[in-house]
Amino acid sequence: MSIDFNFIYTSFFQILKALPLTLVITIVPLIAGFGVGLVTALIRIYKVPWVYRIADFYVSFFRGTPMLMHLFLIYYGIPLIIDKLAARYGWAFQSSSIPILVFVLFAFSLTAGAYMSEIIRSGILAVDTGQMEAAHAVGMSTSQALRRIILPQAVGAVLPNLCSMFVGFLHGSTLAFTVSQMDILGKADVVASVSLKFLEAFIAAALIYWGLTVIAERITALLERRVAVYSKGGVS
Amino acid sequence: MISLTNIHKSFGQQEVLKGIDLTVEQGDVVAILGPSGSGKTTLLRCVNFLERADEGKVQISGLTVDCKHARKHDIVQLRRKTAMVFQHYNLFKHKTVLDNVTEGLIIAQKMSKADARERALRVLEQVGLSAKINEYPSMLSGGQQQRVGIARALALNPEVILFDEPTSALDPELVGEVLSVIRSIAQEGITMIVVTHEMGFAREVANRVVFMDGGSVVEEGTPEEVFVRPKQERTRQFLSRYSSDWSYVI
Amino acid sequence: MGKSFDLSLVLDFVPELLRYLHITLIVLSGSIVLGLVGGVLLAVPRLYRIPVLSQLATLYISFMRGTPILIKLFLVYYGLPELLKPLGVDLSRTDPLVFVIVTYALSDAASFAEIFRGAVRSVDKGQTEAAYAAGLTTFQSFRRIVVPQALIVAFPNMANTLIGSLKDTSLAFSIGVMDMVGRGQTLISATSHALEVYISLSVVYYVIVLVLEKGFAVAERRLQRHERKKEVRGPAVRAERLKRIAG
Repeated sequence: MSIDFNFIYTSFFQILKALPLTLVITIVPLIAGFGVGLVTALIRIYKVPWVYRIADFYVSFFRGTPMLMHLFLIYYGIPLIIDKLAARYGWAFQSSSIPILVFVLFAFSLTAGAYMSEIIRSGILAVDTGQMEAAHAVGMSTSQALRRIILPQAVGAVLPNLCSMFVGFLHGSTLAFTVSQMDILGKADVVASVSLKFLEAFIAAALIYWGLTVIAERITALLERRVAVYSKGGVS
Repeated sequence: MISLTNIHKSFGQQEVLKGIDLTVEQGDVVAILGPSGSGKTTLLRCVNFLERADEGKVQISGLTVDCKHARKHDIVQLRRKTAMVFQHYNLFKHKTVLDNVTEGLIIAQKMSKADARERALRVLEQVGLSAKINEYPSMLSGGQQQRVGIARALALNPEVILFDEPTSALDPELVGEVLSVIRSIAQEGITMIVVTHEMGFAREVANRVVFMDGGSVVEEGTPEEVFVRPKQERTRQFLSRYSSDWSYVI
Repeated sequence: MGKSFDLSLVLDFVPELLRYLHITLIVLSGSIVLGLVGGVLLAVPRLYRIPVLSQLATLYISFMRGTPILIKLFLVYYGLPELLKPLGVDLSRTDPLVFVIVTYALSDAASFAEIFRGAVRSVDKGQTEAAYAAGLTTFQSFRRIVVPQALIVAFPNMANTLIGSLKDTSLAFSIGVMDMVGRGQTLISATSHALEVYISLSVVYYVIVLVLEKGFAVAERRLQRHERKKEVRGPAVRAERLKRIAG
């Protein structure tokens, strides 16, 4: 068996240069996804007429199909829509001028939004019904109660899942490779193709992802211990 | 005949059993009393090796097992001569009442399904739960679950039944039904070792009382001797705390 | 993409893609079955604290759960032949399907191991004690008392892993497997209607996932028939609850 361990070492640092892009592809969708997820969760809980059906379908569809499909649907679908609209309204704008990264981030944000929506929704539902009653009893309006009592607890519902969401999307970022993004996997592929040392390059990439995952696990464990003081009573 | 010789047990630095000797004759009903931390439950669990004593010997009708060098095979043999009723019942949650009772018979004692079922029905009738044989434990009250636990132990036809605080986890109004079942099987002459807080019950049903404190046997004798004429100061102190709760008789 | 979007093509593509559904299902079932076996083998050393084996298992599980599926696919694709070369095994003409099943099996084994470990630990120790007290051996107690109860706890998580694995199979095309996605790629080359192809693919996956989820929900309810009957959570009760929460 001939593995060039030295090459694993050198390519490790070369490939690491793509870390910033990977982190962008991981974190931006998580943040955008939280926003999307929060809005859709509320729409679904309050059953806003008609819209909630779309929200339900959105969540169901994006959780029931592979992330790869999301990427390709957006990558091929949005340009079509944009170009059609551009032709109709005479925009001096072509979809091809939009960097691919935008499509990647948009697609993954939708994915994240669907998963977040489900987490937030069950988090809100798990909130003790007495909390809203108590808020009313103290004189808060519904929206005040939502903002100050319910939503903070909904955020608390997301925290335990934060690690698995981060890791999930960190791993999901590798899909960007299929639309020629130079993330960690993309860089590894380039390094591999140039040197023809495919196994070594991918081992290096694997180690980078493994390391990032372990770091993320450690950090969230630390965070959870800090937050645990408040959630002793078992919010969710 | 059961005898425990020189049982020592430590948990880490803490010595919980400091050389206990205990002999139980056939037909005896031995009540073990004492404050929490006295080691009484640990002692009971050493009999069927749910806890492994560091030193000492456990002998049950001819089979002697040295605690320090006990082999898996001997432990299983020893366990087949005993049965246990747990404080938290520990019924097999995924099995019906009937299956709970037949499980040990079929699997451990290799009885045929038909024989096991027959014996199970008999003991379940004895504890008054014939109507519930096809129910799952989660649908029964605590008192009913414990009675199933007793039936499960009875069915195994052991040399001795070990009771680990059988009524401590029950709501007060359910304690009575379990105690009356225990009393009735005691009257049949089954050998029992009962760790309990129910003083009145111990006084009434046991023919021997053992008082433990701090890991040793402080005093033992008939209920008369221990309850009415305790010889040791510690025994007297312990009993005085419970003197108002003596009668839990139905 | 010069051609215009044609929704009716979606209907045409679906049957064509379904012709390769069996490949996807072979990958899925192969990896799940092997993964279950592997999961048990990995969980046992950790549950019984067997020295060396349990540390190796922990390391393996950490690695498998810490790397993306695409990376694992490439590692196995390039690594397995290297690994087996000294043993004289030539994998240069092996169907990529084999590599895919091996990869997903190795990965699923790690997921299942974690699920099993958590499930077994959730079974009340008193159950095992009662089994021992009744005369059962360690093995008998584990098999007849602990495992059935652990499986009920594990089931929802295992179902999720299976559905996740199904979605992951969409990446098999990257090492040349001719499954539904693979066929989709050839359709795109032939017709240049990428969007329609991916819509068809998405629909197929979506339907399969919905069917599986329904099936698992039914199975779960059957498994839990020994639980106490909780308050009925019908739509009326849920609506009431939502009203109280949402004000």
